[in-house]
Amino acid sequence: MKLNRLETVAWQDSQLLYHAQPRLGREGLNLLSPGAPYVCIGYFQDVAQEVDVDFCRANDIPIFRREVGGGAVYLDGEQLFYQLIIHRDNPLVPASKDAFYRKFLQAPIAACRALGIHAEYKPVNDIVANGRKISGNGVAEIGDYIVFVGNLIVDFDYEMMARVLKVPDEKFRDKVYKTLHENLSTIKRELGSAPPCEELWDLLAVKFAEVLGPLEEQTTVDEEWRAKADELAAQFLTDEWLYGKKRPGEGREVKIRAGLQVSQKMHKSPGGLIRATTELQEGIIAAVSLSGDFFFFPEEKLAEMEKALEGVPTGEVERAIANFYGEHGIESPGVTPADFAKVVG
Amino acid sequence: MEIAGFEFPDDLYYDKIHGWAKVEGNVVMQGLTNFGQAIAHEIVFAEIPRTGRDVEQGQTFMSMESGKWVGRIQAVVSGKIIEANEELEWEPSTINESPFGDGWLVKIEIADSSELDNLMQADSPELKAFIEEEAEKYKDVLS
Repeated sequence: MKLNRLETVAWQDSQLLYHAQPRLGREGLNLLSPGAPYVCIGYFQDVAQEVDVDFCRANDIPIFRREVGGGAVYLDGEQLFYQLIIHRDNPLVPASKDAFYRKFLQAPIAACRALGIHAEYKPVNDIVANGRKISGNGVAEIGDYIVFVGNLIVDFDYEMMARVLKVPDEKFRDKVYKTLHENLSTIKRELGSAPPCEELWDLLAVKFAEVLGPLEEQTTVDEEWRAKADELAAQFLTDEWLYGKKRPGEGREVKIRAGLQVSQKMHKSPGGLIRATTELQEGIIAAVSLSGDFFFFPEEKLAEMEKALEGVPTGEVERAIANFYGEHGIESPGVTPADFAKVVG
Repeated sequence: MEIAGFEFPDDLYYDKIHGWAKVEGNVVMQGLTNFGQAIAHEIVFAEIPRTGRDVEQGQTFMSMESGKWVGRIQAVVSGKIIEANEELEWEPSTINESPFGDGWLVKIEIADSSELDNLMQADSPELKAFIEEEAEKYKDVLS
């Protein structure tokens, strides 16, 4: 298999090149990094709901819709991308998605471990170090090929990631920032400093070769590949492609890593609008913030109720709120525990 | 018919990518089998194809996402898509919850009914052998 060690490429090529390979019937492993920052959204995402498009436009941050799954991410040159394009009938391809991720994530995990980072596989597709995500990964089936893409995060601009996302309000943005910072790590954070990129590329190449077998290295994009990528640019860099998917919006959810997400939901109850920002960990409420234009007496008990919901599984929210109402004599005209349960979790 | 612990309704046809086909006159309703949804995990997005589109048997015509994996769905028969289950766009997990019922994908006006011969029936030894082999392959996912 070819190892396309391209290192720094134009931002759009960091996406277009791997979209072109399956269309040319080529297998390969690409190691590269974007030359400029951009935002990349998942195949099914609605860009207007996920990304602050006005902010990105005003700050010259391009937005790209990939054919791979997953969520919106802020990508820049501080992230090392690996992109594996492999035919579905290649004997190296395991039968199941789980086994596929587990097998090919071995390479970046081994690279992290060689650096002294205690990286582990977290099903289905994350790599974590000390409980924090350190790599993002996803897959697309394109024709007869499976395209697996991921990154090793050398350093990360948490603030910019939280800034480019479309959020209902600044409180939610602050929550996303804090949760990202607490749950997403980088090579720099784990080691105190990062080795030179050259060393990291070498390490990734060696570790992938251990999984894929001998790799034949090339460092340039040939004419046919370039032409196909340029042809795809005419589709993938259009507003028609970027805005082509729209989804209904009754709330907002940002997935930080497998099993951890921050969501904001709203519900118009007879007693007024209720808004909840919830941090969920493995289906358990880790934190919740309630607001809206409803009446809640005694008013000071609302913060206590938020606290009481910590540690409650999502399926038991209504019962927990009903218990709290009973214990504290809560009155909330037109708003029932069931109304709160609709927005929490 | 139960194979490897999964139900395969007797009145349906099956392909080798875990699709099912229900024949109603000249229309074939297509879906994902219970086995197919089990190995896919929770489906979080489904792309609904436009009606009126012609598809070939085995041709990719829609996508689904589970576990950040965008997978493609292929047509069980050739013909024209006359209806798509638009509810799936809002509630894709219906495919997991009711694969043989509300989680159906599309209805195709069949172009050539002899293509059904390319599919397997619930009581065929071929389906039994295929599913048993698949169950072995996916045992880590199904356990």
